[in-house]
Amino acid sequence: MTRHIVIDPITRLEGHGKIDVILNDQGEVDHAYFQVPELRGFEKFAQGRPAEDMPQITSRICGVCPMAHHMAATKALDDLYQIEPAPAARVIRELAYNTFMFEDHALHFYFLGGPDFIVGPTAPKDQRNVLGVVAKVGVEVGKKVIAMRRAARDLISLLAGKVIHPVFGLPGGVSRQVRAEEQERAVQVARQAVEFAEFTLGAFHDIVLKNRQYVALITSPAYTHQTYYMGLVDEKNRVNFYDGAVRVVTPQGKEYARFQARDYLKHIAEHVEPWSFMKFCYLKNVGWKGFEEAPASGVYAVAPLARLNVSDGMPTPKAQAAYEEFFGTLGPRPVHHTLATHWARVIELLCAAEMMLQLAQSPLLVDPNIRNIPTAKPAEGIGIVEAPRGTLIHHYATDEKGVITMANLIVATQNNAARIAMSVDRAAKALIKGGQADDGVLNMIEMAFRAYDPCNGCATHSLPGHMPLLLRIYDPRHRLVNEIRRAGGFTDFQGRGAERAGATEK
Amino acid sequence: MKTLVLGLGNDLLADDAIGLLAVDELENRLAGRADVVGTSRHGLALLEFFVGYHRAIVMDSVRTLRHAPGTIIELEGGALRPVRIASPHFAGWPEMLHLAHELGITFPPRVRIFAMEVADTSTIGGSMTPAVRRALPELCARVCQAVDQW
Repeated sequence: MTRHIVIDPITRLEGHGKIDVILNDQGEVDHAYFQVPELRGFEKFAQGRPAEDMPQITSRICGVCPMAHHMAATKALDDLYQIEPAPAARVIRELAYNTFMFEDHALHFYFLGGPDFIVGPTAPKDQRNVLGVVAKVGVEVGKKVIAMRRAARDLISLLAGKVIHPVFGLPGGVSRQVRAEEQERAVQVARQAVEFAEFTLGAFHDIVLKNRQYVALITSPAYTHQTYYMGLVDEKNRVNFYDGAVRVVTPQGKEYARFQARDYLKHIAEHVEPWSFMKFCYLKNVGWKGFEEAPASGVYAVAPLARLNVSDGMPTPKAQAAYEEFFGTLGPRPVHHTLATHWARVIELLCAAEMMLQLAQSPLLVDPNIRNIPTAKPAEGIGIVEAPRGTLIHHYATDEKGVITMANLIVATQNNAARIAMSVDRAAKALIKGGQADDGVLNMIEMAFRAYDPCNGCATHSLPGHMPLLLRIYDPRHRLVNEIRRAGGFTDFQGRGAERAGATEK
Repeated sequence: MKTLVLGLGNDLLADDAIGLLAVDELENRLAGRADVVGTSRHGLALLEFFVGYHRAIVMDSVRTLRHAPGTIIELEGGALRPVRIASPHFAGWPEMLHLAHELGITFPPRVRIFAMEVADTSTIGGSMTPAVRRALPELCARVCQAVDQW
């Protein structure tokens, strides 16, 4: 049967996340497509610009994680000019990066993953929001989150030089050294961060792990996929956010590949579907077999759960203890439950905080030698970091003057895109019966992809922003039978819009 | 009485730069009267910017499709209704404002928003719509006036 999927340009303008559901002759879901109707553009825009501009340009891709792009770009410049960063510069970069990871994970856990877990998946809809989280954990904790994030952000500004975007990354180093009095401040913030992360892990225990219903939800088949996993690891195969080798494990937890940034194209390929602007990454040597689970399919996942799954342990003691408890409870490794990502994120929060403290105390932090000057002729550079949402790859080719001739960016959400599509399809199949669906379906589908925290603006390299949802159900002859919309009003108000309300329409 | 003037936008996305251009214009003009800050962050990450201020003005681009590009729309921060959010990428101003209120942190009791109707916020590296660029002085003037005559 021919099925015609149209990406409506009006929808594209409005930046909807769009789900098209095709029914079979029995009225059950044949397939559901989670579409990202946004266009890529950054890679083209980068061509013809000096490579040194890339850390500044790419940090504007996303209003949520500018530091991740800044750092991946900076590392790609190290590679492009074949220069190792000065040891002090590496410590400064890593401290800034772990601080960023810490603040982003704190934001996500409390305010965004929180509605599902802290408030509870079965709580009334009007409580399942940020305010519900505050009501549950208490105003004092809410204030603590804000104060902690602010301290972290101030530390990043101190190290990275600018609130609006980080500007410190240079090939071979950083632009500014850290002074002794600033080191004291960094140590102080890092100590608070460790304490905060321990408190958060405790809260997760009390609220989530002691509730059997939540644990049952985490481990339910609806939110479980057997796939490969990918993430950066250090020389001892422990989690590392800033640097290392890319490690891939099989759904059984065996090492499938371990490679350096330079070799990423030998392992990762991108699959194109006619119904999405997103490119779906897969393991080249396993192959693309559709949106299928392992072992035949090369679909893999990244982000906190994947990082724990590919690692033999954590680089810091408190996070290591939490890691052991995680796999002791949900294991063996790898854990395939998507919703366990929220737990993994808290463990990483603790890891980032402990790393902050180690780095802040390093005597190298205040070493004045912060730059190795590059002398090599540029040609090609690849940089990889772990963004909060997973592996982020920047790849540039330049002419001999260092002007970009090719840029390829693979962002976390692209790595996860196939698995996210599978989660949405599964949720739709489980929840839409006889062509009937309501707003509750959107909530459950949202929960499936919220765990990945997809950034579709990043993944299509276009404007990130508010994403209202549009779900359309078609019969086998592709006649629209139902439409559910969570509308957006203003399309581009960074503070986002007036007059937005959920509405169900036929 | 501490005043914040916060410009939002992305200087790579055509008209979306307007809030940041206004920051460049106003930094000197408002020196001593307000802290003028620009950012490309959005959603809940904006919250920390406001903490400790008594008054705040936000400058941003907006697309209502109901006004001509370059039209300046003044909104009261509290007038925007919150919605459920799926990710930090989708969190917005109303969610942030309600959170601040709920937490009882020192947050400006009144936030005025000057939003300029724009035409193009998705062309990377795109040039600005002439009508939007022409309206920059008016935006700055209205913000200055708002600071002086709160």
